[in-house]
Amino acid sequence: MKTNSLCILLVLSLSGCTTSVMVEGTVPTPLVAKMPARVGLYFSPDFKSFRHEETIEQRGSYQVDMGQQNLTFFRNLMKAMFESTVEVDEPLLPSETATGIDGVIVPEILKYGFLTPAVSGLNFYSASIHYRVALFDVAGNKVGDWTLVGYGKAEGGVFSGSDALREATLLAIRDGGARIAIDLPLEPAVVDWLQQVEDASAVSGSAATPAEGGES
Amino acid sequence: MLMMAALVSGCVSSRIEQSRTATTGIETDEAIVLLGRASYNDRQTEESFTDCIADTLSAGDDPIRLIPQDEFKDELYPWFEPRTAPTSADELSTLFDQPGVRDRIEEAQVRYLAWIDGDTIIIDQGGSFSCTISSFGGGCFGMSYWEEDASYEASIWDLHNLTAAGEISADANGTSYLAGLILPIPIMARPGNAACKALASQLREFLVGDVVTTGDGAGEI
Repeated sequence: MKTNSLCILLVLSLSGCTTSVMVEGTVPTPLVAKMPARVGLYFSPDFKSFRHEETIEQRGSYQVDMGQQNLTFFRNLMKAMFESTVEVDEPLLPSETATGIDGVIVPEILKYGFLTPAVSGLNFYSASIHYRVALFDVAGNKVGDWTLVGYGKAEGGVFSGSDALREATLLAIRDGGARIAIDLPLEPAVVDWLQQVEDASAVSGSAATPAEGGES
Repeated sequence: MLMMAALVSGCVSSRIEQSRTATTGIETDEAIVLLGRASYNDRQTEESFTDCIADTLSAGDDPIRLIPQDEFKDELYPWFEPRTAPTSADELSTLFDQPGVRDRIEEAQVRYLAWIDGDTIIIDQGGSFSCTISSFGGGCFGMSYWEEDASYEASIWDLHNLTAAGEISADANGTSYLAGLILPIPIMARPGNAACKALASQLREFLVGDVVTTGDGAGEI
Protein backbone atom coordinates (compact mmCIF):
# COMPACT_ATOMS: atom_id res chain seq x y z
CA MET A 1 0.00 0.00 0.00
CA LYS A 2 2.82 2.32 0.97
CA THR A 3 4.74 1.38 -2.20
CA ASN A 4 1.67 2.06 -4.39
CA SER A 5 1.23 5.52 -2.85
CA LEU A 6 4.85 6.35 -3.51
CA CYS A 7 4.52 5.25 -7.14
CA ILE A 8 1.40 7.41 -7.67
CA LEU A 9 3.17 10.41 -6.10
CA LEU A 10 6.17 9.88 -8.34
CA VAL A 11 4.04 9.66 -11.52
CA LEU A 12 2.10 12.80 -10.56
CA SER A 13 5.25 14.78 -9.83
CA LEU A 14 6.85 13.72 -13.13
CA SER A 15 3.81 14.51 -15.31
CA GLY A 16 3.58 18.08 -14.00
CA CYS A 17 7.29 18.78 -14.42
CA THR A 18 8.42 22.26 -15.46
CA THR A 19 12.07 23.03 -16.07
CA SER A 20 12.91 26.67 -15.36
CA VAL A 21 16.24 27.90 -16.55
CA MET A 22 17.71 31.29 -15.64
CA VAL A 23 20.67 31.87 -17.94
CA GLU A 24 23.56 33.40 -16.01
CA GLY A 25 27.30 33.35 -16.55
CA THR A 26 30.45 35.27 -17.16
CA VAL A 27 30.45 38.27 -19.50
CA PRO A 28 33.82 38.35 -21.25
CA THR A 29 35.08 41.58 -22.79
CA PRO A 30 35.92 40.93 -26.45
CA LEU A 31 39.54 41.42 -27.44
CA VAL A 32 38.90 43.18 -30.75
CA ALA A 33 39.90 46.48 -32.36
CA LYS A 34 37.38 49.24 -31.69
CA MET A 35 35.62 50.61 -34.75
CA PRO A 36 36.12 54.40 -34.96
CA ALA A 37 32.46 55.32 -34.61
CA ARG A 38 30.08 56.46 -31.90
CA VAL A 39 26.87 54.44 -31.87
CA GLY A 40 23.50 54.51 -30.19
CA LEU A 41 22.24 51.14 -28.98
CA TYR A 42 18.55 50.37 -29.13
CA PHE A 43 17.49 47.35 -27.10
CA SER A 44 13.79 46.63 -27.57
CA PRO A 45 11.68 45.52 -24.56
CA ASP A 46 11.48 42.03 -26.15
CA PHE A 47 15.25 41.84 -26.39
CA LYS A 48 15.74 43.06 -22.82
CA SER A 49 13.47 40.43 -21.33
CA PHE A 50 13.64 37.57 -23.81
CA ARG A 51 12.02 34.44 -22.46
CA HIS A 52 11.33 31.19 -24.26
CA GLU A 53 8.57 28.79 -23.27
CA GLU A 54 8.01 25.42 -24.84
CA THR A 55 6.20 22.24 -23.95
CA ILE A 56 7.61 18.93 -25.11
CA GLU A 57 5.16 16.04 -25.07
CA GLN A 58 5.86 13.55 -22.27
CA ARG A 59 8.80 15.68 -21.11
CA GLY A 60 7.04 18.64 -19.57
CA SER A 61 7.41 22.35 -20.15
CA TYR A 62 10.56 24.43 -20.35
CA GLN A 63 10.99 28.10 -19.47
CA VAL A 64 14.28 29.65 -20.50
CA ASP A 65 14.91 33.20 -19.26
CA MET A 66 17.94 34.70 -20.98
CA GLY A 67 16.98 38.37 -21.12
CA GLN A 68 19.33 39.85 -18.52
CA GLN A 69 22.37 37.77 -19.49
CA ASN A 70 21.81 38.56 -23.17
CA LEU A 71 21.41 42.29 -22.48
CA THR A 72 24.52 42.51 -20.29
CA PHE A 73 26.47 40.50 -22.85
CA PHE A 74 25.46 42.78 -25.75
CA ARG A 75 26.13 45.97 -23.81
CA ASN A 76 29.63 44.73 -23.10
CA LEU A 77 30.12 43.46 -26.65
CA MET A 78 29.14 46.76 -28.27
CA LYS A 79 31.18 48.78 -25.79
CA ALA A 80 34.24 46.77 -26.83
CA MET A 81 33.49 47.02 -30.56
CA PHE A 82 32.87 50.76 -30.90
CA GLU A 83 34.68 53.95 -29.87
CA SER A 84 31.71 54.96 -27.72
CA THR A 85 28.17 53.76 -27.09
CA VAL A 86 25.04 55.26 -25.63
CA GLU A 87 21.66 53.62 -25.15
CA VAL A 88 18.79 55.30 -27.01
CA ASP A 89 15.01 55.06 -26.65
CA GLU A 90 14.14 54.72 -30.33
CA PRO A 91 15.80 52.90 -33.20
CA LEU A 92 15.25 55.85 -35.54
CA LEU A 93 16.19 59.08 -33.86
CA PRO A 94 14.99 62.58 -34.80
CA SER A 95 17.98 64.54 -36.11
CA GLU A 96 18.02 66.92 -33.13
CA THR A 97 18.53 64.03 -30.67
CA ALA A 98 21.00 62.16 -32.87
CA THR A 99 23.86 64.47 -32.05
CA GLY A 100 27.10 62.92 -30.90
CA ILE A 101 26.48 59.58 -32.57
CA ASP A 102 27.27 58.22 -36.03
CA GLY A 103 24.66 55.49 -36.19
CA VAL A 104 22.30 53.23 -34.28
CA ILE A 105 22.70 49.49 -33.72
CA VAL A 106 19.53 47.42 -33.20
CA PRO A 107 20.01 43.78 -32.16
CA GLU A 108 17.04 41.41 -32.16
CA ILE A 109 16.45 37.78 -31.28
CA LEU A 110 14.52 36.22 -34.15
CA LYS A 111 14.35 32.68 -32.86
CA TYR A 112 15.55 30.51 -30.02
CA GLY A 113 15.44 26.74 -30.01
CA PHE A 114 16.87 23.85 -28.08
CA LEU A 115 17.16 20.08 -28.27
CA THR A 116 17.22 17.70 -25.35
CA PRO A 117 19.07 14.35 -25.46
CA ALA A 118 15.68 12.59 -25.62
CA VAL A 119 14.83 14.46 -28.84
CA SER A 120 18.25 14.43 -30.54
CA GLY A 121 19.38 10.99 -29.38
CA LEU A 122 22.77 12.49 -28.42
CA ASN A 123 24.27 13.00 -24.98
CA PHE A 124 24.02 16.76 -25.29
CA TYR A 125 21.59 19.57 -24.76
CA SER A 126 21.99 22.00 -27.63
CA ALA A 127 20.67 25.51 -28.16
CA SER A 128 20.58 27.94 -31.06
CA ILE A 129 19.80 31.65 -31.16
CA HIS A 130 19.07 33.48 -34.40
CA TYR A 131 20.14 37.10 -34.02
CA ARG A 132 19.54 39.95 -36.42
CA VAL A 133 21.71 43.02 -36.07
CA ALA A 134 20.65 46.14 -37.96
CA LEU A 135 22.74 49.27 -38.41
CA PHE A 136 21.21 52.66 -39.24
CA ASP A 137 23.19 55.75 -40.12
CA VAL A 138 22.60 59.00 -38.29
CA ALA A 139 20.00 60.07 -40.89
CA GLY A 140 17.96 56.95 -40.18
CA ASN A 141 18.89 55.10 -43.39
CA LYS A 142 19.51 51.41 -42.98
CA VAL A 143 23.16 50.63 -43.64
CA GLY A 144 22.40 46.92 -43.52
CA ASP A 145 21.15 44.07 -41.40
CA TRP A 146 22.76 40.73 -40.75
CA THR A 147 21.41 37.47 -39.41
CA LEU A 148 23.76 35.33 -37.35
CA VAL A 149 23.18 32.09 -35.55
CA GLY A 150 24.81 31.26 -32.24
CA TYR A 151 25.14 27.59 -31.29
CA GLY A 152 25.92 25.97 -27.99
CA LYS A 153 25.89 22.48 -26.59
CA ALA A 154 26.55 21.00 -23.19
CA GLU A 155 26.79 17.52 -21.74
CA GLY A 156 23.59 16.55 -19.99
CA GLY A 157 23.20 13.97 -17.25
CA VAL A 158 19.93 12.43 -16.14
CA PHE A 159 19.49 14.84 -13.22
CA SER A 160 21.21 17.95 -14.58
CA GLY A 161 19.00 18.88 -17.52
CA SER A 162 18.43 22.50 -16.46
CA ASP A 163 22.15 23.06 -15.82
CA ALA A 164 23.04 21.65 -19.24
CA LEU A 165 20.38 23.75 -20.97
CA ARG A 166 21.63 26.86 -19.14
CA GLU A 167 25.19 26.10 -20.25
CA ALA A 168 24.17 25.37 -23.85
CA THR A 169 22.22 28.66 -24.04
CA LEU A 170 25.11 30.59 -22.51
CA LEU A 171 27.47 29.10 -25.09
CA ALA A 172 25.02 30.02 -27.87
CA ILE A 173 25.05 33.66 -26.69
CA ARG A 174 28.88 33.60 -26.64
CA ASP A 175 29.02 32.01 -30.09
CA GLY A 176 26.61 34.57 -31.56
CA GLY A 177 28.60 37.37 -29.92
CA ALA A 178 31.86 35.99 -31.32
CA ARG A 179 30.45 35.97 -34.84
CA ILE A 180 29.23 39.55 -34.46
CA ALA A 181 32.56 40.75 -33.02
CA ILE A 182 34.61 39.13 -35.78
CA ASP A 183 32.36 39.32 -38.84
CA LEU A 184 30.52 42.63 -38.49
CA PRO A 185 33.60 44.90 -38.92
CA LEU A 186 34.43 43.03 -42.15
CA GLU A 187 31.01 43.51 -43.78
CA PRO A 188 31.42 45.74 -46.89
CA ALA A 189 28.44 47.92 -45.89
CA VAL A 190 29.99 48.52 -42.46
CA VAL A 191 33.37 49.31 -44.02
CA ASP A 192 31.70 51.87 -46.33
CA TRP A 193 29.76 53.37 -43.43
CA LEU A 194 32.94 53.69 -41.35
CA GLN A 195 34.58 55.46 -44.29
CA GLN A 196 31.63 57.89 -44.48
CA VAL A 197 31.88 58.50 -40.73
CA GLU A 198 35.59 59.22 -41.08
CA ASP A 199 35.00 61.53 -44.07
CA ALA A 200 32.25 63.42 -42.24
CA SER A 201 34.50 63.74 -39.21
CA ALA A 202 37.34 65.09 -41.37
CA VAL A 203 35.01 67.63 -43.01
CA SER A 204 33.59 68.86 -39.69
CA GLY A 205 37.10 68.98 -38.27
CA SER A 206 38.45 71.08 -41.17
CA ALA A 207 35.36 73.33 -41.05
CA ALA A 208 35.89 73.92 -37.35
CA THR A 209 39.59 74.70 -37.65
CA PRO A 210 39.34 78.11 -39.49
CA ALA A 211 36.55 79.25 -37.16
CA GLU A 212 38.62 78.35 -34.13
CA GLY A 213 41.60 80.01 -35.76
CA GLY A 214 39.51 83.17 -36.43
CA GLU A 215 38.38 83.43 -32.85
CA SER A 216 41.91 83.21 -31.54
CA MET B 1 39.16 -4.40 0.93
CA LEU B 2 41.91 -5.09 -1.64
CA MET B 3 40.11 -8.22 -2.80
CA MET B 4 36.88 -6.26 -3.09
CA ALA B 5 38.58 -3.51 -5.10
CA ALA B 6 40.15 -6.09 -7.40
CA LEU B 7 36.78 -7.78 -7.79
CA VAL B 8 34.90 -4.67 -8.83
CA SER B 9 37.58 -3.39 -11.24
CA GLY B 10 37.49 -4.64 -14.80
CA CYS B 11 40.53 -5.10 -17.00
CA VAL B 12 41.61 -2.25 -19.27
CA SER B 13 44.27 -2.36 -21.96
CA SER B 14 45.78 0.87 -23.15
CA ARG B 15 48.22 2.09 -25.75
CA ILE B 16 50.07 5.40 -25.90
CA GLU B 17 51.93 6.91 -28.83
CA GLN B 18 53.95 10.07 -29.12
CA SER B 19 55.21 12.10 -32.01
CA ARG B 20 57.56 14.98 -31.28
CA THR B 21 58.41 17.60 -33.87
CA ALA B 22 60.28 20.11 -31.70
CA THR B 23 62.34 20.29 -28.54
CA THR B 24 60.32 21.28 -25.50
CA GLY B 25 60.85 22.50 -21.98
CA ILE B 26 58.87 24.49 -19.45
CA GLU B 27 59.99 26.88 -16.72
CA THR B 28 58.28 26.87 -13.35
CA ASP B 29 56.63 30.24 -14.01
CA GLU B 30 55.33 29.18 -17.41
CA ALA B 31 51.89 27.69 -17.87
CA ILE B 32 49.97 25.35 -20.10
CA VAL B 33 46.32 25.54 -21.11
CA LEU B 34 44.35 22.37 -21.84
CA LEU B 35 41.52 22.97 -24.28
CA GLY B 36 38.88 20.39 -25.12
CA ARG B 37 38.05 20.39 -28.82
CA ALA B 38 34.37 21.17 -29.33
CA SER B 39 32.57 20.95 -32.61
CA TYR B 40 28.93 20.96 -33.59
CA ASN B 41 28.67 17.35 -34.63
CA ASP B 42 27.49 14.50 -32.40
CA ARG B 43 30.76 14.17 -30.49
CA GLN B 44 32.79 16.35 -28.19
CA THR B 45 35.65 15.87 -25.74
CA GLU B 46 34.12 15.38 -22.30
CA GLU B 47 34.89 18.18 -19.83
CA SER B 48 35.54 15.52 -17.19
CA PHE B 49 38.41 14.19 -19.31
CA THR B 50 40.24 17.52 -19.58
CA ASP B 51 39.57 18.08 -15.87
CA CYS B 52 41.14 14.68 -15.12
CA ILE B 53 44.30 15.54 -17.09
CA ALA B 54 44.47 18.97 -15.44
CA ASP B 55 44.18 17.44 -11.97
CA THR B 56 46.92 14.92 -12.74
CA LEU B 57 49.33 17.49 -14.20
CA SER B 58 48.87 19.97 -11.38
CA ALA B 59 49.39 17.33 -8.68
CA GLY B 60 52.49 15.48 -7.56
CA ASP B 61 56.02 16.53 -6.63
CA ASP B 62 56.61 18.44 -9.84
CA PRO B 63 53.33 20.18 -10.67
CA ILE B 64 52.89 22.07 -13.92
CA ARG B 65 51.15 25.45 -13.77
CA LEU B 66 47.79 25.25 -15.53
CA ILE B 67 45.42 28.02 -16.50
CA PRO B 68 41.77 26.85 -16.43
CA GLN B 69 40.30 26.69 -19.92
CA ASP B 70 37.22 28.77 -19.04
CA GLU B 71 39.43 31.57 -17.68
CA PHE B 72 41.66 31.42 -20.76
CA LYS B 73 38.68 31.49 -23.15
CA ASP B 74 37.18 34.49 -21.33
CA GLU B 75 40.51 36.37 -21.43
CA LEU B 76 40.94 35.66 -25.15
CA TYR B 77 37.27 35.97 -26.16
CA PRO B 78 36.22 35.69 -29.01
CA TRP B 79 39.28 33.87 -30.41
CA PHE B 80 38.98 30.46 -28.71
CA GLU B 81 35.27 29.75 -29.14
CA PRO B 82 34.35 26.45 -30.89
CA ARG B 83 33.86 28.09 -34.28
CA THR B 84 36.61 30.70 -34.08
CA ALA B 85 39.51 28.83 -32.47
CA PRO B 86 42.54 28.10 -34.65
CA THR B 87 42.40 24.60 -36.12
CA SER B 88 46.12 24.27 -36.77
CA ALA B 89 49.34 25.79 -35.44
CA ASP B 90 49.80 27.50 -38.81
CA GLU B 91 46.96 29.86 -37.86
CA LEU B 92 48.73 31.03 -34.68
CA SER B 93 50.67 33.83 -36.34
CA THR B 94 47.44 35.29 -37.79
CA LEU B 95 45.81 35.01 -34.38
CA PHE B 96 48.75 36.73 -32.69
CA ASP B 97 48.35 39.67 -35.09
CA GLN B 98 44.93 40.41 -33.58
CA PRO B 99 45.07 43.38 -31.23
CA GLY B 100 45.86 42.44 -27.65
CA VAL B 101 46.14 38.67 -28.18
CA ARG B 102 49.94 38.40 -27.96
CA ASP B 103 50.08 40.73 -24.93
CA ARG B 104 47.37 38.82 -23.09
CA ILE B 105 49.08 35.44 -23.67
CA GLU B 106 52.53 36.77 -22.72
CA GLU B 107 51.10 38.42 -19.62
CA ALA B 108 49.66 35.08 -18.47
CA GLN B 109 52.96 33.37 -19.39
CA VAL B 110 51.21 30.67 -21.36
CA ARG B 111 53.94 28.60 -23.03
CA TYR B 112 51.90 25.72 -24.45
CA LEU B 113 48.39 25.00 -25.63
CA ALA B 114 47.31 21.37 -25.61
CA TRP B 115 44.20 20.59 -27.64
CA ILE B 116 42.51 17.46 -26.34
CA ASP B 117 40.37 15.71 -28.91
CA GLY B 118 38.49 12.44 -28.60
CA ASP B 119 35.85 10.65 -26.58
CA THR B 120 34.79 7.41 -24.94
CA ILE B 121 32.15 5.36 -26.71
CA ILE B 122 30.40 2.04 -26.16
CA ILE B 123 31.41 -0.29 -28.99
CA ASP B 124 29.63 -3.47 -27.90
CA GLN B 125 27.03 -4.47 -25.32
CA GLY B 126 24.82 -7.42 -24.55
CA GLY B 127 23.42 -9.77 -21.94
CA SER B 128 20.30 -9.52 -19.89
CA PHE B 129 19.86 -7.99 -16.47
CA SER B 130 16.75 -7.09 -14.53
CA CYS B 131 15.72 -6.09 -11.03
CA THR B 132 12.27 -6.60 -9.54
CA ILE B 133 10.66 -5.32 -6.40
CA SER B 134 7.41 -6.43 -4.81
CA SER B 135 5.72 -6.43 -1.43
CA PHE B 136 7.43 -9.80 -0.76
CA GLY B 137 10.91 -8.44 -1.44
CA GLY B 138 13.07 -8.03 -4.50
CA GLY B 139 16.29 -8.85 -6.24
CA CYS B 140 18.37 -8.62 -9.38
CA PHE B 141 19.12 -11.47 -11.77
CA GLY B 142 21.13 -11.91 -14.96
CA MET B 143 24.26 -10.44 -16.37
CA SER B 144 25.00 -7.67 -18.84
CA TYR B 145 28.22 -6.29 -20.25
CA TRP B 146 29.37 -3.32 -22.27
CA GLU B 147 32.70 -2.68 -23.92
CA GLU B 148 34.01 0.89 -24.06
CA ASP B 149 36.73 2.39 -26.20
CA ALA B 150 38.45 5.58 -25.13
CA SER B 151 40.46 7.28 -27.85
CA TYR B 152 42.07 10.67 -27.25
CA GLU B 153 44.76 12.79 -28.82
CA ALA B 154 46.63 15.81 -27.48
CA SER B 155 48.10 18.28 -29.99
CA ILE B 156 50.67 20.48 -28.30
CA TRP B 157 51.38 23.94 -29.68
CA ASP B 158 54.35 26.03 -28.57
CA LEU B 159 53.22 29.64 -28.17
CA HIS B 160 56.79 30.98 -28.03
CA ASN B 161 57.69 29.66 -31.45
CA LEU B 162 54.09 29.59 -32.80
CA THR B 163 54.58 26.03 -34.01
CA ALA B 164 53.25 22.54 -33.32
CA ALA B 165 55.53 20.76 -30.85
CA GLY B 166 54.06 17.29 -31.22
CA GLU B 167 51.16 14.94 -30.62
CA ILE B 168 50.35 12.27 -28.07
CA SER B 169 47.56 9.76 -28.52
CA ALA B 170 46.09 7.41 -25.95
CA ASP B 171 43.72 4.53 -26.60
CA ALA B 172 42.19 2.37 -23.90
CA ASN B 173 39.67 -0.42 -24.10
CA GLY B 174 37.79 -2.28 -21.40
CA THR B 175 34.67 -4.31 -20.72
CA SER B 176 32.42 -3.71 -17.71
CA TYR B 177 30.01 -6.27 -16.28
CA LEU B 178 26.89 -6.02 -14.16
CA ALA B 179 25.95 -9.30 -12.56
CA GLY B 180 22.79 -9.86 -10.54
CA LEU B 181 22.66 -12.47 -7.81
CA ILE B 182 19.94 -10.97 -5.60
CA LEU B 183 22.25 -7.98 -5.18
CA PRO B 184 23.66 -6.19 -8.25
CA ILE B 185 27.44 -6.64 -8.51
CA PRO B 186 29.17 -4.16 -10.82
CA ILE B 187 32.61 -4.98 -12.22
CA MET B 188 33.63 -1.72 -13.78
CA ALA B 189 36.39 -1.10 -16.30
CA ARG B 190 37.26 2.57 -16.68
CA PRO B 191 39.03 3.03 -20.00
CA GLY B 192 38.44 6.80 -19.93
CA ASN B 193 40.28 7.07 -16.63
CA ALA B 194 43.10 4.84 -17.89
CA ALA B 195 43.46 6.97 -21.04
CA CYS B 196 43.53 10.12 -18.89
CA LYS B 197 46.27 8.84 -16.59
CA ALA B 198 48.36 7.57 -19.51
CA LEU B 199 47.95 10.76 -21.53
CA ALA B 200 48.68 13.02 -18.55
CA SER B 201 51.82 11.07 -17.64
CA GLN B 202 53.12 11.21 -21.20
CA LEU B 203 52.20 14.87 -21.54
CA ARG B 204 54.19 15.72 -18.41
CA GLU B 205 57.27 13.94 -19.82
CA PHE B 206 56.75 15.63 -23.16
CA LEU B 207 56.57 19.13 -21.69
CA VAL B 208 59.54 18.74 -19.38
CA GLY B 209 61.64 18.37 -22.48
CA ASP B 210 63.48 16.02 -24.76
CA VAL B 211 65.35 15.90 -28.04
CA VAL B 212 63.58 15.77 -31.39
CA THR B 213 62.51 12.16 -31.95
CA THR B 214 59.53 10.29 -33.30
CA GLY B 215 58.45 7.11 -31.59
CA ASP B 216 55.69 5.17 -29.94
CA GLY B 217 55.14 2.85 -27.09
CA ALA B 218 52.44 0.57 -25.79
CA GLY B 219 51.52 -0.74 -22.39
CA GLU B 220 48.89 -2.56 -20.37
CA ILE B 221 47.20 -1.16 -17.30
